[in-house]
Amino acid sequence: MSLRVYAIAYLIFLYAPIVLLPIFAFNDATIIAFPLSGFTTNWFGELMTNTSLHAAVRNSLFIAVMTAILSTLLGICAARAGAMYRFPIKAGIMGFIMLPLVLPEIIVAVSLLVVVVQIFDLGLSNWTIIAAHVLICTPFCIAILNGAFQNLDPSMEEAAMDLGESRFSAFRLVTLPLVMPGIISSMLIAFTISLDEFIIAFFLSGVSPTMPVYIWGLMRFPASLPVVMALGTILVALSIILLTIAELLRRRGMARAGVKDKGGFL
Amino acid sequence: MFKKLTSTEGGRGLLLISPPFFYALALMAFPLGAIILFSFWTQNFMDVDTTFTLNNYREIITQPIYGALLQRSLYVSAVVTVVTVLLAFPIAYFVSFHVRPDRKSLWLFLITIPFWTSYLIRVFLWKVILGYNGVINTGLLNIGLIDEPLTFILYNVNAVIITLAHAFAPFAILPIFVALEKIDRSLLEASRDLGENKVMTFFRVTLPLAMPGVVAAVLIVFIPTIGDYVTPELMGGAGGKLIANMIQTQFLALNNAPLGAALAVVAMLSVTAISLMFVLLNRRWLRGRS
Amino acid sequence: MTALITLKGVNKYYGDYHALRDIDLTINAGEFFSLLGPSGCGKTTLLRTIAGLEDVSDGVVMIGGKDMRGVSANLRPTNMVFQSYAIFPHLSVAENVAFGLRKRADLSKADKATMVDEALAMVGLSGYGKRASHALSGGQRQRVALARALILKPKVLLLDEPLSALDKKMREQMQVELIRLQRHVGITFILVTHDQEEALVMSDRIAVMFEGEIGQLADPETLYRRPNSRRVAEFIGKMNFLRADVQEIGDTIEVDVAGLGRVSVQAEQAPMALHKGAAVAGVRPETLAILFDGETTERKLIDGVVDEVVYYGDMTYYDVRIAGVDQPLNIAMKNLIGRPVLDVGTQTKVVWDERSLVLLA
Repeated sequence: MSLRVYAIAYLIFLYAPIVLLPIFAFNDATIIAFPLSGFTTNWFGELMTNTSLHAAVRNSLFIAVMTAILSTLLGICAARAGAMYRFPIKAGIMGFIMLPLVLPEIIVAVSLLVVVVQIFDLGLSNWTIIAAHVLICTPFCIAILNGAFQNLDPSMEEAAMDLGESRFSAFRLVTLPLVMPGIISSMLIAFTISLDEFIIAFFLSGVSPTMPVYIWGLMRFPASLPVVMALGTILVALSIILLTIAELLRRRGMARAGVKDKGGFL
Repeated sequence: MFKKLTSTEGGRGLLLISPPFFYALALMAFPLGAIILFSFWTQNFMDVDTTFTLNNYREIITQPIYGALLQRSLYVSAVVTVVTVLLAFPIAYFVSFHVRPDRKSLWLFLITIPFWTSYLIRVFLWKVILGYNGVINTGLLNIGLIDEPLTFILYNVNAVIITLAHAFAPFAILPIFVALEKIDRSLLEASRDLGENKVMTFFRVTLPLAMPGVVAAVLIVFIPTIGDYVTPELMGGAGGKLIANMIQTQFLALNNAPLGAALAVVAMLSVTAISLMFVLLNRRWLRGRS
Repeated sequence: MTALITLKGVNKYYGDYHALRDIDLTINAGEFFSLLGPSGCGKTTLLRTIAGLEDVSDGVVMIGGKDMRGVSANLRPTNMVFQSYAIFPHLSVAENVAFGLRKRADLSKADKATMVDEALAMVGLSGYGKRASHALSGGQRQRVALARALILKPKVLLLDEPLSALDKKMREQMQVELIRLQRHVGITFILVTHDQEEALVMSDRIAVMFEGEIGQLADPETLYRRPNSRRVAEFIGKMNFLRADVQEIGDTIEVDVAGLGRVSVQAEQAPMALHKGAAVAGVRPETLAILFDGETTERKLIDGVVDEVVYYGDMTYYDVRIAGVDQPLNIAMKNLIGRPVLDVGTQTKVVWDERSLVLLA
């Protein structure tokens, strides 16, 4: 019982900042502080007309979509190899691929900056950010896809081959439909991580900033803070919708594979 | 060659694992090697002098500012880790042992949602909560507990710790939860049957079996927190800056990449050394018990 | 009888592990053939090399006179029922059964539907076509797996431990159904099992495998009555082993058996070549008997003391000590009317007959 009270208190701690977001997004004052002064939707209106913000959002969306696709492709390779094959020094290779999970982001950022700018003398662009984001998202994708591939009976694909399908069409007809929910939730999570990532993007972005980099810029000007609140509110709502879709898909995948649900993602 | 590779199980596995492996090699291992190399070079205005030198490391040792920053960073990371894991364990335990199985997903979902909202904005909102005119001060003033706003909760190390403990909460909860879920519940019944009470069962059975999850949680919180410069920048004030801020400054503001690289290497080595020590001590402790 | 499958010198290595050692084997058309052995003996690997799911490291697999080297699983005239059944969970029962017909352009949609209905009827699942496959019971999944394989009219049906996931009652029922099905379709069945009773009940011939080798290949009765080694005898049923000393080898064999004395046995009671000197005599528990009060026999008798009693309902198993033998003899007795269950320590007489002995090197 006391544990339940603690759990609820903990949830309040977790949600405390997020609850403030819509409050100040609709508050009719430029200073983010209490007491509240009145209801307004002006800040959302300002969002609609801010063209440099729109450019930053477009950048971030492009980066996040490419990251989602590429890291999920790499994740599929790793998860399938991990779940279905035995090969030399498997544990070592898998551990190496998962390593970015515990690598401080600033290390990823500065090491790639050194390689791109100082060693290869290349310019920074959205693609340098995508390259770094794929690196840090792939372990998350693998963690999610592992669940999907490990729930899969390895004889499924063999059965399809035994019934006349080639190795590739067996994968397409049997494995792919069964792991599809996992693939979609992997893409959604990579997309969300990339969309929100700031530390690496700050180091590696070229002339056009990503959305978090743009928000960082706004934070220095108190007058623009309510707009940031409005933007944050929209982002929170979008994240919740995306994550709910991912979770529902994961559950449907579990049900389809005939597995009992044992818990949430990750 | 290709035909030969695809004809055996091991070959197919290696072929399949090679894209993510080479990706990690090219974009993680190679760049890490590059900054290590870089840390032995020097910056000469716009050019980099590639003669091998230990000057960067000498400067880090002799200038007290770097040592102080590193020490403070490790201290903050350690405190954040301890606070986060200690706060997280009861939650993971609660969800794993006291929540109905069909509700577990919902709880995990509730726990992870705040984590998926914009990190920058979350940090900023903590400023709103802890600030001079913030939620806490306004609230306490209104109910008359204090006469003037508290100032020790923002723009110092405490604020950094609170904010990071919040940011890394799900990273600590999930691995502990997974470890707790794996524990066969009949082991706990066996312990009770063999005469231990609930508390001793927890310490003799549940906790040792949950240790891998706790270790994972510690590492997954401790290591990345060293690399965060957003929270100290926004919350730390003048006295709350950390090593990551210095690395960032060297690279982006002072244009001294080799010194920044050396600082990154030093930070990474300290974190790795402490992490390895922790893992080894934990292993010895677990073995000592059994 | 025509040979359908021929294996010559088949070897399989996994790294340093030698999974199959020089397997030579011929399986005939229309035969119900079993590969029997403990887990890890290579029986499933052997089945998978026939299916084309594993390559052989060395040697030849021929099916219907054709060398199968380089022929992948999807092109071989074999179909398999997997241990887990591998029923595709995202497809309905009918879609599962029709899976292998996808590329058959010569068949119309209606033809395929008729074939699916016939295949389902054959395995007793008429009317199940529209069901979701993940809602099926274990027995039903197995029937779907059978229908899915048989609809392709393979030359060989491979069954990998198909009954191991079922409970005892269901298993016994499916054994009978599989035998009936095999007679009905006339296809060669190759069954992999670790259950000796299952193999004895169902098979025309059985290959007993140990550590990647075939220990004995014979029909069920020969395998049971004349096992060619101690490990085959021990794997299939129970057997008492007595030290023996071969004296004379001629038309008959003269041998001293510990506890039983000098006997003369037929040459066919020694399945493998014997030499004079030390050997082992095996005798099955049910070919020995305890002489109860009021019963008579014309066979030989020996004195014994009951050492252990295990009551099974229809049977009672006794361990009886006899003079000159360290291990007590295991004897299986049917609990007929009027027979008591003896107590430990009871003095008794054991009935035996040299015709039931098997001599092993």
